[in-house]
Amino acid sequence: MSGVLCTGAGTPVGDAVARALAEQPGVGHVLALGGQAPLHPRIQAVHADWSRMRGVHDVLFGPVCELGIDTVVHGPLHRRASDGGSRHHALDVESTRELLRLAERHPTLRRLIYLSPACVYRQRPGFPETIQEDHPLQLGLGQPWLRDRVEGDLTVCARMGMGRLKITVLRLAEVLARGAGSQLEDFLSSRVCVRALGYDPMINLITPGDVARAVVAALQADRPGVYNIAGKTTLPLSALIAAAGRIGLALPGPLLGPLYGLRARLFGRSFVYGVNRDRFHYSGVLDGARAARDLGYLPREAAL
Amino acid sequence: MQPSQRLVQAITRRLIPEHELARLHEVAHRDAGQGYDEFGMHPDGVVLAAALLRGPYRRYFRVESSGAENLPARGPGIVVANHSGMLPVDAAMLYADVLGFTDPPRVLRAVADHFVLRLPWFSTLVARAGVIGGARDSCARLLERGELLLIFPEGAPGIGKPRALRYHLAEWRVGHAELAIRHRAPVIPAAVIGAEEQWPELFKLRGLHPFGAPYLPIPLTPLPLPVRYHIRYGEPIELGRRYAPEDADRPAVVAAAAAEVRVAVEALIEQGLAARRGVFA
Repeated sequence: MSGVLCTGAGTPVGDAVARALAEQPGVGHVLALGGQAPLHPRIQAVHADWSRMRGVHDVLFGPVCELGIDTVVHGPLHRRASDGGSRHHALDVESTRELLRLAERHPTLRRLIYLSPACVYRQRPGFPETIQEDHPLQLGLGQPWLRDRVEGDLTVCARMGMGRLKITVLRLAEVLARGAGSQLEDFLSSRVCVRALGYDPMINLITPGDVARAVVAALQADRPGVYNIAGKTTLPLSALIAAAGRIGLALPGPLLGPLYGLRARLFGRSFVYGVNRDRFHYSGVLDGARAARDLGYLPREAAL
Repeated sequence: MQPSQRLVQAITRRLIPEHELARLHEVAHRDAGQGYDEFGMHPDGVVLAAALLRGPYRRYFRVESSGAENLPARGPGIVVANHSGMLPVDAAMLYADVLGFTDPPRVLRAVADHFVLRLPWFSTLVARAGVIGGARDSCARLLERGELLLIFPEGAPGIGKPRALRYHLAEWRVGHAELAIRHRAPVIPAAVIGAEEQWPELFKLRGLHPFGAPYLPIPLTPLPLPVRYHIRYGEPIELGRRYAPEDADRPAVVAAAAAEVRVAVEALIEQGLAARRGVFA
């Protein structure tokens, strides 16, 4: 393997992935898009505006070509769920589409590992509590942030097996880390955390370290496909609130949307209740059996 | 320790004797990281359920049980029973019965209709005790893990049967047979006698679907009647030995297997009705 381009390297997940890849003896260069100092000696930072297709093109046919990089680890790049608009859509979806398009004629790129969040799955009472890779997706939801994530995931899946690019999609459990785009992290940043009265769903959490291990496992296994990457920590929402040292308050569900909308406006928070409404009512825990079997990935670190 | 955990411990200590509490703590449990399994079951939830059901099971419904030796001590299994009684009290009594008659105690993972998971509070309470939603993948996962399921093939229509049809099985769905064949799990037929008379129903409000329920039942009495429950388990039906897992995709085989289970449950119901001295005796 000649090298890896890791996008979103300014986030805890991207940073952990880039560092883990840099530790791999088989990996030559690691190019970190958005990477910030201090960097690992084997990581080279690159900065570009990926909301513009020119930015995607120039990175792919610039440093990626020069270093002979053959693998891209990519995922949706915009992290604030409360934002919307064409620029964020471009960051999350159009950049991915452009990446896939350019990869077809790229001289060195051969593999894409796409990091998708588990929120692309739909959670309803009739669906299994454990989520396998063929679980229904969250289609038809009006939240732009969530819609972009589902669209990005589907855009990548639609190209799977269609061209010369080997594609592996890793659908990740929630990463509870600041700057990782975690809705739960923003939810837990308040002293009082309000959840839906009468419901206490199960939540699965993963650490950036385990995500990095999963990426390395996917790279080594070289198995295209879609894989759920579950974390080691599974617990009810109420227990999560207590473990975070917050005060849990249960209110009727219909009040939560306006309440969190007000919170976002007053305090600039990014938690959007509409994005989380289903998983604040119904359990949905990723089933990582396929990743364990095909990639050899098992979570190691507790997230709390 | 959270206040809710302290409350649970206080309740269980008050309602369950020490030796029984120690026995219940031996319940097999797969911890997904924080004491809960992926479906939300927690050993404290099982003990709480056992504590809350102890009074109704022993004193109110005075459950008499026979054939519990047919329950597998370990490994996968599906308890298949008739369903009745307006509200699923029969599931609760079977749960308490299996917990009491297996050693080490086994949690009967009741498979609930989808709307149950939409009910506030109740959905959480039963999930902590081990109830799962009626999705095939969830059932398959638990069987692969060697757990014991409770399935009512009559489903929600079973508990809404008119009085004239009591102890007559409603439409018998076949999913349990498919699961048993595919996952080589024995089926333990069971009959619950008493539940049909436990709660007379005045009428059904069919236009109301609270939380996705098929209708809203209006009972004649505010509480169920203190009927005596009789639970009878039949000999395990080893569908997994007679059929290959791929036979689970053959509709005729699955239908025949489900019919065999139905006949076994009907026979147990007949035996139970013949042996019972009276509805309250």
